[in-house]
Amino acid sequence: MSLTRRSFLSTAAAATGLAAADMSALNVLRNPALASELKSSGKRVILLWLAGGASQLETFDPKPGRPTGGPYRAIDTAVPGIQISELMPKLAARMKQLAIIRSLDTKIGDHGQGARLMHLGRRDEPSLKYPDLGAMLARELGRAESQVPDYVSFYTATEGRGSAISQSGFLGARYNAMFLTEQNTPPNLRRLDGLTELDHKERADLRDLLSAQFARGRESAPLASHNEAYSRVRGLMASEKLFDISGEDQKTRDLYGPTLFGEQALIARRLVEAGVPFVKVSRAWWDSHGQNFETHLELVTELDRVYSALLDDLGSRGLLENTLIVTLSEFGRTPQINASLGRDHFASAWSVSLAGAGVKGGTVYGASDEDGNTVKDNKVGAAEVFATIFRAVGIDHKKDYQVGSRPVPLTDPGTKPIAEVLA
Amino acid sequence: MRLLPALLLIAASCTLAAALRADDLLPPDTLPEQVIDHYIDARLQRAGVSPAPSADDANLLRRTTLDLAGRIPTAGEARAFVASSDSGKRQQLVGRLMASPAFNRQQTAEFDALLMDGTKSSIKEYLAKAFRENFSWDRMFRDMIVGEPDDAKQQGAIRFVASRAKDQDKLTVDTSVLFFGVNVSCAKCHDHPLVADWKQDHYYGMLSFFSRTFEVGEFFGEREYGKVNFKTVAGDSKDAKLMFLTGTVVEEPQSDEPNDKSKREEKQRIEELKKKKEPPPPPSYSRRSALVDAALKDEQSEFFSRAIVNHVWNRFFGRGLVNPVDQMHSENTASHPDLLAWLARDMRTSGYDLRRLIRGIVTSQAYARSSRWDSADKRPNDSLFAVALVRPLKPWQYGTSLLIASQNPDNLPADLSPEDLDKRMESLESAGRGLCSQFEVPTADFQVGVDEALLFSNGQKVAGELLRDGQDRLLAKLADCPDDKSAAETAIWNVFARPPAAEEVQGMTAFLSQRTDRAAEARKQFIWALLTSGECRFNY
Repeated sequence: MSLTRRSFLSTAAAATGLAAADMSALNVLRNPALASELKSSGKRVILLWLAGGASQLETFDPKPGRPTGGPYRAIDTAVPGIQISELMPKLAARMKQLAIIRSLDTKIGDHGQGARLMHLGRRDEPSLKYPDLGAMLARELGRAESQVPDYVSFYTATEGRGSAISQSGFLGARYNAMFLTEQNTPPNLRRLDGLTELDHKERADLRDLLSAQFARGRESAPLASHNEAYSRVRGLMASEKLFDISGEDQKTRDLYGPTLFGEQALIARRLVEAGVPFVKVSRAWWDSHGQNFETHLELVTELDRVYSALLDDLGSRGLLENTLIVTLSEFGRTPQINASLGRDHFASAWSVSLAGAGVKGGTVYGASDEDGNTVKDNKVGAAEVFATIFRAVGIDHKKDYQVGSRPVPLTDPGTKPIAEVLA
Repeated sequence: MRLLPALLLIAASCTLAAALRADDLLPPDTLPEQVIDHYIDARLQRAGVSPAPSADDANLLRRTTLDLAGRIPTAGEARAFVASSDSGKRQQLVGRLMASPAFNRQQTAEFDALLMDGTKSSIKEYLAKAFRENFSWDRMFRDMIVGEPDDAKQQGAIRFVASRAKDQDKLTVDTSVLFFGVNVSCAKCHDHPLVADWKQDHYYGMLSFFSRTFEVGEFFGEREYGKVNFKTVAGDSKDAKLMFLTGTVVEEPQSDEPNDKSKREEKQRIEELKKKKEPPPPPSYSRRSALVDAALKDEQSEFFSRAIVNHVWNRFFGRGLVNPVDQMHSENTASHPDLLAWLARDMRTSGYDLRRLIRGIVTSQAYARSSRWDSADKRPNDSLFAVALVRPLKPWQYGTSLLIASQNPDNLPADLSPEDLDKRMESLESAGRGLCSQFEVPTADFQVGVDEALLFSNGQKVAGELLRDGQDRLLAKLADCPDDKSAAETAIWNVFARPPAAEEVQGMTAFLSQRTDRAAEARKQFIWALLTSGECRFNY
């Protein structure tokens, strides 16, 4: 069993004479439920963020033959009675591993606010900066002794990048994402030319020595976090190779395909294999106000391939039972097809999917009406999806963070996970 | 009588308590620094704790210079201060720093960060003028909430409201937190779970002061009508009163809801204003103005004065007298209630003079304590202020300080006139802005992220700005030092602004002497280690 972060930190701090005390005022480990901690150990999450709003009708909730259905057919899947869009034949064959939620009603049809909602699992509050899904998972699933990042986020496209927030909020900068926008390798991981490996290491040792002297008799959480940040540098630099897929065999690379999304998903697999608890791979731009069907032909086909590759690759490595894959968007798309053959923003009845760790495959939860205009059964919102994600990887979604004097639970009070899709 | 709202009872009992306490407080004509030490020491005595000793001269110089001028001292300043045997040198230092334009710049940066963080907007220009001309805090409050009389284009203090006008909840909550020290957002959806004082009526009461504020193109205006209606937990619909946090209800002129015709006309007027890019005229009755009037009167002014005392205290001590600073309510009392009450009263009677409070704080013994707890006794609770807290530097402090620390000390000689020194510092402050944009403004429970450590370890920008070659760099000065020992000492004075300790000089000399084959490179790495150390990153 891994050490909890706090107990590790206090041990390490005591050992080096650094400030121990309260690492952050977030008193999360009040009487920890050991069982759930054990269950969450070694769990990972890959989020496929479909930026711009993917259409549920061309993916997980087709309406064939209806005026809203569009040109694509629905096909049978490996699970009798469940049909999905014909654009996803590979996922159809893997339906036994998937759970689909077809009843999201998230109210917000605006990119910025919708994306915030689906990253935070709740609406913003003026006085509190909430952490996003990745930061919470990094906090709950990460291990201090780990040499790899806790939270890696890919967003290469420029459309919608500003909305795809990455914020650690009140959890603090320790849980900030390593946010990759330009390249597939994070910035500042590589030693500058002209500085030898030896000098890089020894100047860091000198820094640690000076800082340890300074920290003597000074008990301070911010000061400890400063030293902790520097102590992670060399480990993170060593993880640079995880971002390099050139060593992967051709068969594996073919599985994911030659697109950027495919390559980043393959990096995600490498990262979770090495112990990174949360990786988000963003694919933009699904915002098909015009030419919805061409856009989705391209994007859904790619998603079908990449998602399936992850299932197969993680599966064959024995990682799938510990890795949860989730697809989220800021919202879905209107059942009505507009004059430009597009679909517009639509938050009233849309779909997300889950697969892998803790998920009961071959299930569909909730339903929209026959044209997809409203939720017919089992309406859920962002909070329920978040609670489900937490529970799938063994985290108590009701656990409180103590922010100043105020207890703030992982998901809003009263939220229930969707038991029907949990294994 | 039995229908008397609980709120009035609470308000009444608050006033009563304040009145009773006033008699017990130290006399109003005592100096603030003496009052601070009196109450802090009294509590230490009651707790049986002997505080940490005073910080040494160099430490105190660094702390005070960072707090009042936003930068570390130069090596020249540090050497001179340590060498001086003048018993009045600390008072003189404070006087000198507070008289310098750098103090106004530091005040501007601090208050802009406090008031505007998270808005993507700034009121720096206004603040610079306000501090230069020594505006009182109540005047600044009015300028920020109502607007300055000569600012038709809404570019000055009123950006405080303008930058939040889109979101009335944010405007309400930020105003309450920043000016009254209370966070009422929990009372929006239900009566506050922890604080009996606050009901939904208070939240919507405060919101009502802002509910008529609306955006018009790039400007905003205030309507003369409009009510706030909210849904109680029981599901009833209720009209909000124009109510301050104390429960005091503000009487206002009758306002009628407009009929459809006048609504249409209003809409037309607004469209025209938008086209002409003009702000709407001020209303004949302004609720925001009513808020300012109410907040500065009677027992409401307790909220206003206590909040600013607590914010300023928090800035200089790293922790509020009430902590967290947005939780000043009956369930979360001050660590030193009498001290807070005295300072708040002094704030009111001195005409909301921020300089007076700051001078009192930085000349107190409580402020001057060491941040190191070397005693065998258990480290006392932070709320006793027995030992100084280590505070992360603000972005602008760190940016400027890194540039000073990596300068050739010959560029900033001790005999520079104060005016010339200030000019150079001002240019370093602007040169440091690029660096400082990399850092966050620290809030409570601040943590340094690994991004920062990676940036300093491997970033081209940092290496280029701080470790480049050049005659104006510390690196050049070290190359000119006769031996490793004097290089180590020079570097420590320059970066840490204090005399070097024997063992660290020894360690550093060893570092340099093991690298004689690449001496220049070794000096560079050695400066890097000083610049990235905890000592350089924090105000201690």
